[in-house]
Amino acid sequence: MSETKAPEGELVPVTVLTGYLGAGKTTLLNRILTENHGKKYAVVINEFGELGVDNDLVVDTDEEVFEMNNGCICCTVRGDLIRIVGGLMKRRDKFDGIIVETTGLANPAPVAQTFFVDEDVRAKTRLDAIITVVDAKHLPARLADSHEAEDQIAFADVIVLNKMDLVSADEAKEVEATIRKINKFAKIHHATKSDVPIAELLNQGAFDLNRVLDHTPDFLTDNEHEHNDDIASMSFELETPIDPERFNAWIGALLAEKGQDLLRTKGILSYAGEDRRFAFQAVHMIADGDFIGPWKEGDPRTSRLVFIGRNLNRPQLRRGFESCQME
Amino acid sequence: MSQTITPDRLLEERGETRTLDGFVVGAAYDRSGNLAFALGDGSVHIVRKGGEWQKVAAHEGAAMAIAADSRAAGWVTGGDDGRFVRVSTDGTVSAIAEFGMMKWVEHVAATTDGKGVLACSVGKAVHVFDGAGTKLKTVQHPSSVTGLVFDAKGKRFAASHYNGASVWFVASKTDNPRKLEWKGSHIGIAMSPDGDCVVTAMQENSLHGWRLSDGQHMRMTGYPAKTMALSFTKNGKWLASSGADSIVMWPFHGGGPMGKPPTELAGGDGVNCTRVAAHPTHDAIAAGFADGLVVMADINSARILPVAAAGRGPISALAWSPDGTHLAFGTEAGFAAVVDFSKRS
Repeated sequence: MSETKAPEGELVPVTVLTGYLGAGKTTLLNRILTENHGKKYAVVINEFGELGVDNDLVVDTDEEVFEMNNGCICCTVRGDLIRIVGGLMKRRDKFDGIIVETTGLANPAPVAQTFFVDEDVRAKTRLDAIITVVDAKHLPARLADSHEAEDQIAFADVIVLNKMDLVSADEAKEVEATIRKINKFAKIHHATKSDVPIAELLNQGAFDLNRVLDHTPDFLTDNEHEHNDDIASMSFELETPIDPERFNAWIGALLAEKGQDLLRTKGILSYAGEDRRFAFQAVHMIADGDFIGPWKEGDPRTSRLVFIGRNLNRPQLRRGFESCQME
Repeated sequence: MSQTITPDRLLEERGETRTLDGFVVGAAYDRSGNLAFALGDGSVHIVRKGGEWQKVAAHEGAAMAIAADSRAAGWVTGGDDGRFVRVSTDGTVSAIAEFGMMKWVEHVAATTDGKGVLACSVGKAVHVFDGAGTKLKTVQHPSSVTGLVFDAKGKRFAASHYNGASVWFVASKTDNPRKLEWKGSHIGIAMSPDGDCVVTAMQENSLHGWRLSDGQHMRMTGYPAKTMALSFTKNGKWLASSGADSIVMWPFHGGGPMGKPPTELAGGDGVNCTRVAAHPTHDAIAAGFADGLVVMADINSARILPVAAAGRGPISALAWSPDGTHLAFGTEAGFAAVVDFSKRS
């Protein structure tokens, strides 16, 4: 319903907070709720018992995931979030953002997909970032014994590498390298007791890929060929403008075929004959795209596309992306 | 000399309007003909029969649902402050139950036949009370309740949730519901006046129905948006629904709705219908749209009577008085109105 869609600036930003049990999520939430940062956030949580604050904008919910009846097996959605966002939008006291906490073992995909799938939610909110809180000391053990820990890192736009006081400088380097192997593109904050300035976590527009890539050190843009069950991330760039029809045909087929393996796909594209940047993103098979601000005067109009997932075939992805160039 | 009929003429000549402070969540007439609007700022605006308006504070956060009380006058409301309250026509607010902050009371219902049963949903639970507000029982569902309705006789109630709906007997001692199953997320519910059909709205822009007498399933598809409002006509022949750019009317007669196309009224301008309310006595439907337009449609002649012009916010509440002489509506932007349809001498 385009007539009720609010302009981009009026959409309420939503931050998804994930992290394995004991990583420091609750500490971070408590800070967001109690610190004097002059902003008002609605917080959707699962285990209220751990939070030590009384706040009428905290909503307690059970994570209720359902499968969409659209034939896509990985298309799962949080129906409880659709209801809660709808309810929050009726309140008079407006807030600066919504924070959704997931349980420690949760796969972030259903939360993210909710913000793409439901028209009413899309009309009022935008997914600002997925933040994953990671325990620097115990990450290697978590990765060894659970799929979810790896998925949570793969999905992240922002990673809070917490409990840095418990690791040596060498261990810190190692754990960061481990994270980078899974997700090259997330912004990493080092923290002790989740002490990252809140202003650097919320309403960051972390999806803006140009900024994300700015944070990517050069040495990480390696060219090694990944072909196994581990999660990896890859990025591709094109200088020639993109043909929207070709891109839609290619990415549509790719997501339909490999969507289960592709955890996140994000891109900023330069469409032929268009002065605005086109932002594309997908979680598994569910994709979303929209024009965002114009290209900066004088900046190269480079199209960038990144994939985070399993069984990524670099030559095949590159050839596919290159086939979308305008002739 | 012909007179130009503007879309706002009825509202201007026969309407009483207010600009209120919050999102109008719902409107309900009690059985005596008094009206109340529930708002997103937690207030309830009472419009007494005769036209006197009064604002009362009912909830600390947002009001989430309103229904006519099981008593002859007054209402029950639920809020995101975890309270299920009774609002009297004199403006008195009294708590029936308090479930605690963060436990949203999302749906409320009451019997209208004088039996005096009240119900509200909080998460997966439906709490049932007698007319005095004493808890009768609590029943649980597999996931959060998304819609709650009593049958016309007040003997049973039905709740929608993931993968279907549950139908419960109010007086039953054993707490086993009749389970109506269909995979997916069901987001709203209605029951036909004869109590034989249960229809739910689904996340995937469709309706699903069950005929209780023979277990027949009914699928009603083709909506471009989610159906937020369902309303059976008094005689049960038609089910009106929102979710398309017209009022979608499914025939519940002559073998329908299976295999029959719906009748579409007041369509064609590309703006989605958001609320429908069947007239309590005539074959007519009131409908509100996302641009603020309100119309009344005669089912048999398909004639459309404009009630209010577009431009005051998406219609979010719509209700007829029990005698069908007054139509109340409210919008997301806080506009509220009552239009008098009664004959004038």
